[in-house]
Amino acid sequence: MAKFLYNEEALKNLRIRDTSVLDRLVDFESAREAHLKKEHAKKDKRMPLDEAIATFVKDGDVLTDGGFSYVRTAHQAFYEIIRQGKKNLQMIGAPNTNQSFFITYGLVTHSHSSYTGAEMRGIDKVYDRALKEGRITILSEWSHGGVAQGFKAAQLGVPGVLSKQMLGSDLVRYNPYLKVVQNPLKADKDPAVFVPALYPDVSIIHCHAADKYGNAYIYGPAVNDLAVAAAARKLIITAEEIVPENDIRYNRQGQIIPFFYADAVVEMPFGALPGSMPGCYYWPRQWWEKCMRFGGSSEENNRIFCDEWILGTKNQYEFIEKLGGARWIAEARRQTKAAEGDNEDIDFSYDEFTLTHDPGRYY
Amino acid sequence: MRDLNAPANPLETLAYIIAQQIEDHSVVYIGTGIPMVAGILAKKTHAPNITLVYESGGQDPIEGDMPWSVGCPMTWRKSPTIMEMSYSFAQCYNGYVDIGFLGFAQVDMYGNVNTHMIGKDYHQPKVRLTGSGGNNDLSSLTEKMVLVGLQTPDKFPEKVDFVTSVGWLAGDDSRREAGLIGNGPAAVISPWGVYDFHPVSKRMRVKSLTPGVTFEIAQQLTGFELLRPEGDIPDTKLITPECLKIIRTQVDPRGVFTIMPAA
Repeated sequence: MAKFLYNEEALKNLRIRDTSVLDRLVDFESAREAHLKKEHAKKDKRMPLDEAIATFVKDGDVLTDGGFSYVRTAHQAFYEIIRQGKKNLQMIGAPNTNQSFFITYGLVTHSHSSYTGAEMRGIDKVYDRALKEGRITILSEWSHGGVAQGFKAAQLGVPGVLSKQMLGSDLVRYNPYLKVVQNPLKADKDPAVFVPALYPDVSIIHCHAADKYGNAYIYGPAVNDLAVAAAARKLIITAEEIVPENDIRYNRQGQIIPFFYADAVVEMPFGALPGSMPGCYYWPRQWWEKCMRFGGSSEENNRIFCDEWILGTKNQYEFIEKLGGARWIAEARRQTKAAEGDNEDIDFSYDEFTLTHDPGRYY
Repeated sequence: MRDLNAPANPLETLAYIIAQQIEDHSVVYIGTGIPMVAGILAKKTHAPNITLVYESGGQDPIEGDMPWSVGCPMTWRKSPTIMEMSYSFAQCYNGYVDIGFLGFAQVDMYGNVNTHMIGKDYHQPKVRLTGSGGNNDLSSLTEKMVLVGLQTPDKFPEKVDFVTSVGWLAGDDSRREAGLIGNGPAAVISPWGVYDFHPVSKRMRVKSLTPGVTFEIAQQLTGFELLRPEGDIPDTKLITPECLKIIRTQVDPRGVFTIMPAA
């Protein structure tokens, strides 16, 4: 007996026969159970990254991509997941920009898909190839807003929300979790989409500052992370710096994830690299161009690129060395401060990477 | 530095035409790419008091350099507030957003948009594209949508390969019957023409064409039968030298989005 009554048309369109692979994302009971069993006492949860990943990321887990594509996403923690070679993961995010690093090494086999690509830098050819070769299976198609509402429903503490998004589109025909229902209070026909609350197994959220208990502060766009933090069965906080609890209490009002959501706290300066970190460092833009253009050009080149940068570095410090070391840090900090408005005079010109021109530098 | 004397390229032409759709004092939801250029151009020219909204949560920024992405700090530079993603789209549902601009890979005769995949078999696409992102959300909710992209018969097919976002669905009253709100797509803009939709059948109709483009040429660039408006077809107003200069010197001086993309 199946646990959930999935959208039959979508199951057929997506050719999903065994629906058990879908269950965990919407299994409220097990999520609540996991939240009840978490350490609720205010204890020191600091640990090294490798220990946090080994303890809290399990084969088969549903993983989220936090931040926004290449902004404040916990890339360096993702690289540790790759180094540890986890298997059979599912990925959901809005967007799913970083899924392809996992696909490259065969870690993620199932995708809940909302957006995969790099905007004007192009489509994700690694994802395209993996789909065609059957190395990854799409379990559900979403809009960004639909995923955001599913996470937000979990944070609100409700079974789901009625949405006016995705109606009439093929998304509801390719998403087993969505059902079109009638607004119960309307006399006239008024269709809406029931979006269930979404409960990923594990989320890694990179923050600006955290205390040792897991109170964690985000500056700049939170995107979906406050909702995701409340929803996930297991939450790893990586932080640019560890600060005293009183620093959070007195100086960091605003976007805070409460400590009792967190299972692990990892001190992780430059943990968002090669993404940007608001207030701290700007993108190595040529890195992403090289990733999309050179890595995208063939599976062989993608592997060369990922082996060099992901498996070829042991931690973020080696990654920074490859980007240009202290000079890179200084430029990246200068650019991000200027982008946010603290220096009107900076020139944002940079030497773009193309297939015929490698500037060899990353700022 | 960009050549200021070169004739306008299709992307610059597009940015200018889009910008003309923006009224001053409105709240404008902006997708990535050319819509960003258009929004900032409008703000620097005829519509200095508009408020720009981006899906990563940034809104009402003080303009800086051209945003490199919708998640770029330039989209929330000195913003009074930054929205969570769910709240950002909610502003469209709740009626705070006047107009939205989105790109497409394919658009059909009823203004339905595909950004998912090209091909007839979902499981064996010719090419997998990005997926929806915020495209579906804005099309579902925004009072007035303007769709922007390049025009070939493949990009303007009779039916899109995947309905990422609903425009007028199957025409007539089908959009409203499906439960969607807002006034649906108002216009489709390509470098060759501006198109609107017949008020009853909701089929795509020529509104104006780029000087030199005849109805017959526009039809050849389209994979379905275009409707012809009553009377003469007006020319689309071409980019002025002043606006072209503003794009090249102030809005996108390094051509992030207005130089044809490199390989």
